[in-house]
Amino acid sequence: MAAGVTDMTSITSRKERSVSATLAAATCALLGTTAAAPVDAQEEPKWDFNTSLLYYGEDESRVQDMSLKSIIRRLFADDRTLTLGLTVDGLTGATPSGAIRQDVPQSFTRPSGSGSYVVPAGELPLDDTFKDTRVAITAGWQQPAGEKGLLSVGFSASKEYDYLHTGVNASYAHDFNNRNTTISAGFAFASDSIEPVGGAPIPFTNMLDVGDTSNRVGDQDKDVLDVVFGVSQVISKNLLVQANYSFSQSDGYLNNPYKVLSMVDSVSGDTLTRTPGIEGGPSGIFLFESRPDERTQHSVYTQAKYFMNGKVLDASYRYMTDDWEIDSHTLDVRYRWPIGDSSYIEPHVRYYTQTEAEFYRLSLVDDSLVPLPQFASSDYRLGNFDAITAGLKYGWKTRNDNDMSIRVEWYTQSGTVPAGQLIGNQASRDNYPDLNALIVQFSYRFSR
Amino acid sequence: MGVQPWEREILAREDMQLTTDPLEAATDDHIYFSKEASSGGRGFGGGGCGCN
Repeated sequence: MAAGVTDMTSITSRKERSVSATLAAATCALLGTTAAAPVDAQEEPKWDFNTSLLYYGEDESRVQDMSLKSIIRRLFADDRTLTLGLTVDGLTGATPSGAIRQDVPQSFTRPSGSGSYVVPAGELPLDDTFKDTRVAITAGWQQPAGEKGLLSVGFSASKEYDYLHTGVNASYAHDFNNRNTTISAGFAFASDSIEPVGGAPIPFTNMLDVGDTSNRVGDQDKDVLDVVFGVSQVISKNLLVQANYSFSQSDGYLNNPYKVLSMVDSVSGDTLTRTPGIEGGPSGIFLFESRPDERTQHSVYTQAKYFMNGKVLDASYRYMTDDWEIDSHTLDVRYRWPIGDSSYIEPHVRYYTQTEAEFYRLSLVDDSLVPLPQFASSDYRLGNFDAITAGLKYGWKTRNDNDMSIRVEWYTQSGTVPAGQLIGNQASRDNYPDLNALIVQFSYRFSR
Repeated sequence: MGVQPWEREILAREDMQLTTDPLEAATDDHIYFSKEASSGGRGFGGGGCGCN
């Protein structure tokens, strides 16, 4: 009798794994990735609920995000799958405006144009009006196409106070070589609308006094086309590898409408001053950033999954290059270590490094002999920096055989301004402060 | 290179899928899209937010 029970448990367990494999394949389709693992036929419809609560918090009162994310899947007969996703983000905090520190207090007009704020002497100018709620939905359908093909189509949309995204995607994966090789191709097209608070500023125009919106224009838009080609290969019973090539083309309004650059003296490097208007306004000359209206990115991504006596090593590497002259390398390693039959710990380390965009500038120089560059942005995300993520995840099965996990990660960014860009007093200031963030995510998953 | 159909027990395990945890993958893609100048690779470039 005991043996019988064990066998039944074993069968149930195998079935669950099979469902998991199907769901993982459906997820890959949603994310635009390939899945080489076999997918067993499902006899019965099944629901799968996957929900998580995320806290993301940066130090120094910068961005804080509480995010609720759910993916719900319905498995139909013949391996057809419907996937629905919902994400709700609540964002608050402050984000760098792009202006540089000064030894005196600085005042700025708020993005809305209806007020102003003061940054104390010596401090990094942060725009503290950052507050938003983001709602995103996704829908995907996946079904077999012939005996060895898998077709996926999807839709996505998201809305923030100042941003609207709509997108479609489709991909096809085909198995070869006794299902040991899978090749795939997919595309995603997004059409986004940017509706900045107070209107989009004309690039390289000055931040104006409170109430003056003469340099603001209406809503802007951008299109993004992504194309991904992939191949995954089973090497052995315990080794699976994948390689993808991705192409991404962005066209339209690619500026951040809230970022400015300080206009500085060519000798001292200090921001040129002005007298704010009666109702308030900037105490210095700050110009809204200007980026090219197109960007082409290429990336190569490789991943390996290796099973070692119950432990699983997951390693990936990505190289990205684009026509803004940003190159980046990303190395990501996870190691899943089982503890008993029903729980595991998973350490995670990620290293990222990028070079600065060709138009990255700490500040703009006021010099009648040197014209303004065609493009310029001081957005730290376009600068030269390294980032490290280190974290630990603990996952366990509940008594009802549902999955729970919690992960805690620490993310830190450390950048430098090219020495040639530092002028006068700028050399003695911290122009690229570190970014430190805590990530805590709790996930719960069950099937019915 | 490759295996026979009856040798797939390990490859079929949930923890051997290329994307083991879809919510975590989607979360990470979104965080790094917001904070870095690169995105995608594993799949589509992501985005759909005004954070970058």
